[in-house]
Amino acid sequence: MTRRSRTRLAGLLAVPLVAGAPLPATLAAQQPAPAAEGPLPAKIPLERYQLPNGLTVILNEDHSAQVVTVDVWYDVGARNERPGRSGFAHLFEHMMFQGSSNVKKGEHFQLVERAGGSMNGSTQIDRTNYFQTLPSNRLNLGLWLEADRMRSLAVTPENLKNQQEAVKEERRLRFDNQPYIGTVLLSLAAAYDPKTCFAYGHELIGSMDDLNAAKVEDVQAFFKQYYAPNNATLVLTGDFQPAEAKRLITQYFGDIARVDAPPPVQCDQPFNPGEQRRRVTDAKATLPATFTVWRIPETKHADTPALQFLATILGQGESSRLNKAIAREAKAALGLQTFLNAVGPTRGPGTFGVLAIANQGVPADSLDRLIAREIARIAESGVTEAELAKAKNAYRASTINTAQTSLGRAEAIHHATMFLGDPEAVNTDIRRYLAVTAADVQRVAKAYLRPENGLFTLITPPEAPKP
Amino acid sequence: MTRPSSLRRAGATALALTAVAASAPAADAQYPTKPPAAAAVQPAQLPPFQEEVLPNGLRVVLVENHRDPIVAFRLVLPAGRLYEPKGKEGISEMAAGLLTKGAGSRTADQVAEAIEGAGGSLSGAADDDFLALTGSVLADQTALAFQLLGDAVARPAFPDKEIDLLRTQTLSALQLEQSQPASIAARVFAAGLYGDHPYGRRPTPETVRAITKADLTAFQQTRLRPRGGLLVIAGDVTLEQVRALAAQHLAGWTGYPAANPAFGAPPTRARPEIVLVHRPGSVQSNIVVGNLTAGPGDPQVFAAMVANKVLGGGSDARLFDILREKKGWTYGAYSSLARPRGTGYFNATAEVRTEVTDSALVELLAQLRRLGNEPVPATELENAKGALVGIFPLTVETAQQVAERVAFVKTRGLPGDYLQTYRTRLSGVTAPTLQVAARRWVRPQQALVVVVGDGQKIHQKLAAIGSVRIVTPQGDAMSVADLTPRASAVALDVSRLAARRDSFVVRVQGNPMGASVYELAKDADGWVVREATTIAGGMIQQNTTLRTDASLAPRALEQRGKVQGRDTKADVTFAGGRAKGAAQTPSPQGIKDVAVDAELPAGTLDDNAAAFALPLLRWAPGAKHVVSTFSAGKGVAVPLTYEVKGTESVTVPAGTFEAFRIEQSGGDQPIAYFVTTAAPHRLVRIVVANQIEMALAK
Repeated sequence: MTRRSRTRLAGLLAVPLVAGAPLPATLAAQQPAPAAEGPLPAKIPLERYQLPNGLTVILNEDHSAQVVTVDVWYDVGARNERPGRSGFAHLFEHMMFQGSSNVKKGEHFQLVERAGGSMNGSTQIDRTNYFQTLPSNRLNLGLWLEADRMRSLAVTPENLKNQQEAVKEERRLRFDNQPYIGTVLLSLAAAYDPKTCFAYGHELIGSMDDLNAAKVEDVQAFFKQYYAPNNATLVLTGDFQPAEAKRLITQYFGDIARVDAPPPVQCDQPFNPGEQRRRVTDAKATLPATFTVWRIPETKHADTPALQFLATILGQGESSRLNKAIAREAKAALGLQTFLNAVGPTRGPGTFGVLAIANQGVPADSLDRLIAREIARIAESGVTEAELAKAKNAYRASTINTAQTSLGRAEAIHHATMFLGDPEAVNTDIRRYLAVTAADVQRVAKAYLRPENGLFTLITPPEAPKP
Repeated sequence: MTRPSSLRRAGATALALTAVAASAPAADAQYPTKPPAAAAVQPAQLPPFQEEVLPNGLRVVLVENHRDPIVAFRLVLPAGRLYEPKGKEGISEMAAGLLTKGAGSRTADQVAEAIEGAGGSLSGAADDDFLALTGSVLADQTALAFQLLGDAVARPAFPDKEIDLLRTQTLSALQLEQSQPASIAARVFAAGLYGDHPYGRRPTPETVRAITKADLTAFQQTRLRPRGGLLVIAGDVTLEQVRALAAQHLAGWTGYPAANPAFGAPPTRARPEIVLVHRPGSVQSNIVVGNLTAGPGDPQVFAAMVANKVLGGGSDARLFDILREKKGWTYGAYSSLARPRGTGYFNATAEVRTEVTDSALVELLAQLRRLGNEPVPATELENAKGALVGIFPLTVETAQQVAERVAFVKTRGLPGDYLQTYRTRLSGVTAPTLQVAARRWVRPQQALVVVVGDGQKIHQKLAAIGSVRIVTPQGDAMSVADLTPRASAVALDVSRLAARRDSFVVRVQGNPMGASVYELAKDADGWVVREATTIAGGMIQQNTTLRTDASLAPRALEQRGKVQGRDTKADVTFAGGRAKGAAQTPSPQGIKDVAVDAELPAGTLDDNAAAFALPLLRWAPGAKHVVSTFSAGKGVAVPLTYEVKGTESVTVPAGTFEAFRIEQSGGDQPIAYFVTTAAPHRLVRIVVANQIEMALAK
């Protein structure tokens, strides 16, 4: 069944690989962007508590719309996988829609649809999430559906077989059959050494071999270990009465047993291990491309806001540095884009990526030199105040827009809790971003985007068959 | 994009971590083994509106919401399709697109830069009745929003460059529509339903080409006026601010729009009518069944919405369940209600395999009748109402959504409490009221039925259901005899064939994007056509080898290609009046496998030979040839009609030539060929779907 998208891997799948659309030859005179000072998002009030079984609950009561979101994050993602078991986290996300003791296969979707709600789930490197947004009088339905699968998921051989095939098909369609994406995902993982840091040094989607080898006992063990209340956080946002919500949460989740804490995630990985270069042939590519990954610190690190703005100014949007200089002026690239943590934020090491697809006749290494020149310009001369103000406005607007919906707020609260270590950071984090200076952006460009900290991948199409 | 984050704050969390459950479970609070029942629906709590008319006559509705510092706006003016001059259909949509492409002191790039730099958005669109400018800004940028809106409606520049660009994009989109059966069906349905009423008119390449800068300026001058318009603002702004900003940025904008043009009422229908849109070679049929309904404020509208939900409002509805899940005839089948300001319509759509076209239509009509003939069972009714009542709050969660909803209510003249009472009125629908409404809103006995498909295969079956009128995808009348066009025994003057090589430049929307080389060589059994094409630096590639006999009749085809990284290919052999083989060909759903086993009428050519065959036909003003043409991508031979539509002077890199403009019809997309009027008649230019051009280089 494919009538709606049920799963997605975060981030990278949204890569808009710029097609060969004609671009305006010159940029019109730029008007200065307004200064990035102004109102902040409204404070998101929070209440946090824990059930005796270890389930963390965070409530954000907000009656501005008659809507609730029930959003569960499990502290499990690709980083918890072991060698030979890659792809389990994502495979598991599929299993979570296959039914449980009191919910038949397919019934989850139907119950939510008949209530007028919407739902989905997704897997990232550090976490897996499941959410439903419902009219507020159906809060109980959302909570019950999440509780039922947390307590009694149907991990049967038939369901497993079924979803192994679904995941393999997803892999074929979305990665193996698409140019560049497979190479990009491999490169993101290759920035880290799987011997010392398997957690971040392997692919999110997993290998076909590992997926084929998955046994129902392995999957049951994985469920038992990670899909336990003490490894999950439940965020409730929107239009509910806290006393009633707490009563339902206790009734539905209270007697689910806790388990021993999962083993800690190990990662021993230095910055600046020395410049690494490699060439790969991408069977689906028709144009040369480059993908560079630089190692950056975990998401809560003080340098993250400046790195975010560096990514924006360098390579996000038509008027970004790389697009102006390399695509529009030098006409050397079809499109370029930067990514900060393309497979999700992390509590371990992160990645800063630049993908560039060359125009016909432009060799990948000369494209690489052009990118290096633009990075060097920022490292040497910094960015302008107007560029920074524009990046801050965009960030401020996106933060406010996110907070407009109950789902947006729920995800932001989870993000603050897991990646910043404090739910309250959902209200305070923006100040760190607005405090970034042009000098900060220049400093992080110098500190992280240096050759000895990067993995440079030159992607070439397969050689044309000789006539 | 993932939400980035900042450093952790020093110290412990600001929140107390309460390590106990908030309240002990009551003794009777067992874990339920059935989905818990819905709690009562609370009355809607939409924020109150403030409404006033500005000094220049513009009506403003303000929905204050100060939770987040964001302001959403929607400026709606009566300047939609209803007001388009005849022959200029498409002008409202073009004007809407151009208002933000240069206005006041800003160029198009500067408008985009200003709004994006301020963390906002602004865009224009037009529908049946209205032209709307929609967007949002951070609250401290509200003045900028008013400035951009004021410039857009009162001082648009309509730069030639932007007009040309949008016209090209519009023409491309129209051509794309012409290749998509669902779009063809929608267009023919609207025309049949509304007749000459403007709701039924649609832009064509001719009307879009006819729109000039003067037309756009006149349309803006006469239609975009504040009186009769509506500005809905939702979010973090006060009425005082709105008044002050309007005084500053909208004050010079005054006046009434021109009086509404007169137009006739849509036609009424006493019995069902089937319109068959003949699309030769179609492997599926697109069915649309529907009828006119009522105005947007009709008292039965809530019952009609529930009836529509039961019938076809999603995957949890009768049409989907029966036509897809039970019968397996289709990927999806749905129904909907359209509610413009004037008379709206109901329709049901399904895309089915050709061989089940009649069964699916009969079932569809039966389901439409059933809605009026039988009361809806209680569970089904409750599920449908539950979904409609339930989804409502999800559609008014953000300031932007609230602005859109309020604009809908106001522009349709719906009562002031419409949104507040929306859910209770839906909840109040009963099986008897639904049935009464269904008889009036869903009328299969007076329905317009549009079927887009292969007329040769489905005409007889449809004729057994009702009277059938046949049209081309462009809407021109056809006779039953026209369904089997006699591909004339093509009179190819093969004595003029000679080995040669032609190089073409490929341009996409005017930009050079690649090259194509056609080569004709002699071999022992006849001719070998070789073609090599590369577009967009290899995003699209194709290499073809076609072997033919001495009269260009195909013997063997081998084709290899790539479309955006996906392999395409065709291997076909031709013998004994049949083509056999296999092809992988691009389609909107990805690469599609086509098994080829088709009968070929005598005289069939392979489409890859067209470049060499066309010049061998006899051309003169008005000349017309029907050629049976095999296309590996479709796996069948279809008759293509080539007709001289005029003589033009054509300039290509190889020189300037006087050429016949020969238009091909009957295929998926229209193609124009330009063959020189003088001997040796050479093919100098090909234009595919108005957007891809091949021009002879040497």
